Amino acid sequence: MAPATESLKPTAVKLDPRGGRPREKAKTYIEGMDRMLNGGIPIGNTSLLAGTVGSGKTTLAMEFLINGAKNGETACYISVTEPSSKMLENLRTYGFFDDSLVTEGKLNIFDLGIINDRLGVERLDGSYSPKDMEALLGAFEDIVDELQATRLVIDSITAVCYQLPDRGSIRNFIFRLGQFLSTFGCTTLLISETVVDAATQTYSIFGVEEAVADGVILMGNVQRQGDLLRTMQIVKMRGAKHSRARHLVELTPIGLSVVPLLKWGQETGAVYS
Amino acid sequence: MGSGNRGGVLLSYQSEVRDSIKAGDSLATVVVPANNYRELTLDIVAKLLGSKLGGIYVTTSRPSTHVVKEMKARKASLNDLYFVDMISLTVGGETGDPRTVFIDSPTMLESVLLNIGLLERRIKAKRHFVMFDSVNGLSIYSEMRVLKEFMNVLANTMRLRRTYTMMLTVDEQTPPELEAVLVTLSDCMIRGGTGDG
Repeated sequence: MAPATESLKPTAVKLDPRGGRPREKAKTYIEGMDRMLNGGIPIGNTSLLAGTVGSGKTTLAMEFLINGAKNGETACYISVTEPSSKMLENLRTYGFFDDSLVTEGKLNIFDLGIINDRLGVERLDGSYSPKDMEALLGAFEDIVDELQATRLVIDSITAVCYQLPDRGSIRNFIFRLGQFLSTFGCTTLLISETVVDAATQTYSIFGVEEAVADGVILMGNVQRQGDLLRTMQIVKMRGAKHSRARHLVELTPIGLSVVPLLKWGQETGAVYS
Repeated sequence: MGSGNRGGVLLSYQSEVRDSIKAGDSLATVVVPANNYRELTLDIVAKLLGSKLGGIYVTTSRPSTHVVKEMKARKASLNDLYFVDMISLTVGGETGDPRTVFIDSPTMLESVLLNIGLLERRIKAKRHFVMFDSVNGLSIYSEMRVLKEFMNVLANTMRLRRTYTMMLTVDEQTPPELEAVLVTLSDCMIRGGTGDG
């Protein structure tokens, strides 16, 4: 038996409260964001990229895909709300976009029309039956599998959720989507549209998406002397020790850049996210 | 701030202020009387550029095109000088200069930090400087507590990057509270006199 004094010896204090072995990360290559995420988004995570109109969700998501494609990965963007041709035209206005990524098949852009073709339905009534939901999940799975995509963005998951009959179906849909994407090692951003609400902070329209997702990245606006500043905050990211501080996001010639937001520089008492 | 010597070196002549600037101090505050302010600022930048430093000129009090014009009149080499202009977009000035980043509004203080970092990548010289013209100019647009926080973040960011930083402020227009922050943060306080000799 060890002497009694032995048990009184202080144990070494680990500086990293999480300890353990870190998960492999998909770097965003966005200036400042990988530092917030302690290296990037854990590979295979499905995260909500939530925010109001004009908060920079689509730009951030596209840069995440483009940067991955530039580094040899296959990336896929599914546009639910606007035609891929229009999306491409908008992308060409960004300095970080390169047309060759599309022609070489590193960046693949689909719109709802293509997905509906795959489903074999002409959906005009705006509601998916359970059978349609299965078909839609199957279509997403096929796209990721066929392209061997390691990065995926669905813009927006809110528009897909509007087609689903109830909250239970939404929960089930996102859960199953996340499951197969994780199996494929595909890191995914689901764009979630939120509305300005001065009383509560929401991450989605239906309120269930954030519970199922592995991560929540919140984009928003804060007001300072009447000016609007774009912000980003990582609310949740399974498998990563991440910053929870609010940061400023700015579009620069090299793409988006992120720096910590000054603490006193945001008007209090109202949520602008 | 007044004209007394409350910390720092009290200097009466423009040339003495200019000569007391030595690249190597991490962070210096230069308190300048209003009547000498414009000349002295340009003198300091010209001196640093002449000492083979590359730099960034952050302007809050006048459009960068004015600074460029006046520097050119002095025949200073502007090859390795870049600008962060916080005023031109607010006053509707020219915004086409490729060596300048134009900030939407002088309240967007984080943009200054971010763009200093990006512009530093373009500087060819080994040693860099940042000239901040001027601290009192920022106090027109931002609340004191935001400004104090910003000065603190700016000073520590520049210190980490080992970038020589000079913060200019006009003596008569610097609130005492802000002066106290500058005294705390600076390695070197340089105070210009009246300029009358």
